[in-house]
Amino acid sequence: MAKKQRTIVGSPLTPTLLKELDALNKLPFTPEDFKPDGNWVSTYRIWTCHGYQESGNQNVGFLRIERIGGSDETFVLNVRQEVVQTDAITHIIDGKIKCSNNQLASPVEWKLKSEFIGADGKHISELRSGDNSIATERAERTTGDWCLFEAVQRLALDAQNSFSFDLLERMSLKKPDHRLSYRGVTLLKVDDIDIPLHCFVQLGSGILPNEYWLDSRRRLLFVTSMNKAYILDEQAEQIIGREVEESRKSYQRKREQKL
Amino acid sequence: MNKHTAEEQSGCLVNRRDFIKLSSGAVALLANTALTRNVLAGRQGRKPKPKNILLIITDQQHIDTIAAGGCRHVRTPSLDRLKTSGISFTESYSANPVCSPARSAVFTGRTSSECTVYVNGRSIRSDIPNLGQWFSEHTDYETFYAGKWHLPRTYTSKILGFKVINTGIGGFGYLCDTAMSHACEGFLRNRSKSKPFLLVASFMQPHDICEWLRLNMDNREELRYPELAGELPELPDNFEFDKNEPEAIRKTRLGNEPFKGNWGKEQWRYYRWSYYRNIEHVDAEIGRVLHALEDFGHANDTLIVMTSDHGEGMGHHQMVRKSTLYNEAARVPLLFSWPGYVSGKQTDTTHLASGMDIMPTLCDFAGIKPPENMRGRNLRSIIEGTSARSNEFVVTEVSTNTGRMVRTEGYKYITYKNDSVEQLFDMKNDPGEIRNLAARTRYASTLTEHQKLLREFESKLDVPSNVPNAGVWQHKT
Repeated sequence: MAKKQRTIVGSPLTPTLLKELDALNKLPFTPEDFKPDGNWVSTYRIWTCHGYQESGNQNVGFLRIERIGGSDETFVLNVRQEVVQTDAITHIIDGKIKCSNNQLASPVEWKLKSEFIGADGKHISELRSGDNSIATERAERTTGDWCLFEAVQRLALDAQNSFSFDLLERMSLKKPDHRLSYRGVTLLKVDDIDIPLHCFVQLGSGILPNEYWLDSRRRLLFVTSMNKAYILDEQAEQIIGREVEESRKSYQRKREQKL
Repeated sequence: MNKHTAEEQSGCLVNRRDFIKLSSGAVALLANTALTRNVLAGRQGRKPKPKNILLIITDQQHIDTIAAGGCRHVRTPSLDRLKTSGISFTESYSANPVCSPARSAVFTGRTSSECTVYVNGRSIRSDIPNLGQWFSEHTDYETFYAGKWHLPRTYTSKILGFKVINTGIGGFGYLCDTAMSHACEGFLRNRSKSKPFLLVASFMQPHDICEWLRLNMDNREELRYPELAGELPELPDNFEFDKNEPEAIRKTRLGNEPFKGNWGKEQWRYYRWSYYRNIEHVDAEIGRVLHALEDFGHANDTLIVMTSDHGEGMGHHQMVRKSTLYNEAARVPLLFSWPGYVSGKQTDTTHLASGMDIMPTLCDFAGIKPPENMRGRNLRSIIEGTSARSNEFVVTEVSTNTGRMVRTEGYKYITYKNDSVEQLFDMKNDPGEIRNLAARTRYASTLTEHQKLLREFESKLDVPSNVPNAGVWQHKT
């Protein structure tokens, strides 16, 4: 049988390209009263791209971030990320991060829990791990990748602004010498209407560039980085939940066929 | 970022311990105090055996991507630690610079053609045992696997001889390596210290460069991130290529994205910059596993081996990815570390090594004989500095069993089936493999010697007849 021809995407992921690749069906709605420094919950589908237009592009998980305002000095982010892997093994990270109310939402104190769920839907106790940590004074110019999802919504949309910091990825891996800057406005055409999206770019060690895309109410709609995108989608947990169920059933079917 | 020396980089890196951990266990220090343990064990007439073995495999890692090895474009504190705490081989070759074939050789000590894994996505021949099967049968190590397998499935929860603790998502190292390192961390945290283990931690990165190439193929007039212009790594000295190469190499190059996209030099340099960021990513994930080894008390009892399945073109000879026998795709990192037993800060620039050597070497460390018909050699005496005996040569296969490479101390010989263009490089005076000497009469005897070495090596192999070109190599030349 002749090998199926696939079309190489050719250019980096952007909101327009997400739309062309059917990763984005409609633009998420942001309520008028959305306040970046208020209380909110944002859930993102984690979508991955293999670099071909026709195949290999899929939702692999979700990231939910809940912001709870605290004192003038701090606020809390509750984070949950689930990634569904081959043979229905799911990796879950739960985090509670107390952040400084500074521009970068620097983490002050946090609890993290990592766990795995097998194809049978049960927790794999042998793989559990977790950490409780507090930042030292040296962490003033540090922020986490999840914290940046919150911080970019509060930053001024000003090309003159640029921030330097060290990244604490997944609240555990230190990646030094990062910078974040505002890149301006790009128009995304939806139903023949041009929607302005504001973009911040993050560059630094140990990551490929992250692009943060916000709407005019300063809500973070997308984060694109090389072959993955976080797409704001209130249905994200249900979509992934269904995929987990299907993946488990498929795995069980295969096992039964082998038996 | 790209101007620091390795020492400066190590100094400015801040690890997890700059944060106060409230609930983790006591930290076990990496004590490199007791080479005497090795000496004492030797006096008692037995070879010391590590309680645990950790085999770390990356995917598509060019050998010159470790800061402590002199690469000034990356920060790799974890690989630096591994490198400086043990021995690294600079003349270490993949047995076949393609994912599945290379892995079949690592896990069996046999050539990929013998394993019948001559292309991606094939299983190891059922009568050749893999490392997990052999260790399960002959040692008291419990055998665990996390991450990429690719024999045949990229990820699977079922691997003969291993208990799989985590899988992954094909092609998405950035996401699934994080899950994988967390799984290893959890495993090491919860594992009883009294039960020996062999754990394979098989990362997907820096393989994401393959997706990067497809997502950056189109020629761009301007750099997407102009602020990077001053930081992009320079092009390699051997960026240009010989117009009279074997056809297989020429075809591979023309099929790659840079040629389809008609890249300019800045785009090549941006590709190299991006690849280095993927290296840093996997380094950080390896760091999570190494920290867990220390934090949960396994560090001093664990032999760590680190390698990659194959290298990456990185613009040398204007190649990307793998599948060629030039050094950039064929050479791979190979590090051994065992505090107190393997002396630190050793860089072995003379001994030839192959991915096939890992199986017999690990068997020796485990105190068992390897399976029969090993094509790889046991490197233990070199690692421990008790012998200078070396591989006289190593052979690497490629391209659906149509290409072969013989590397000796001084030269590299490359030949492809049905191609009259052969290549011979003087590896001491031309390490960039720019001047092909094969057609020069002055090197006729050198060429003949290498052809003979290949013929003799091939004559000993047990390649099933259903492998394409199975009979070719015993008769070629």
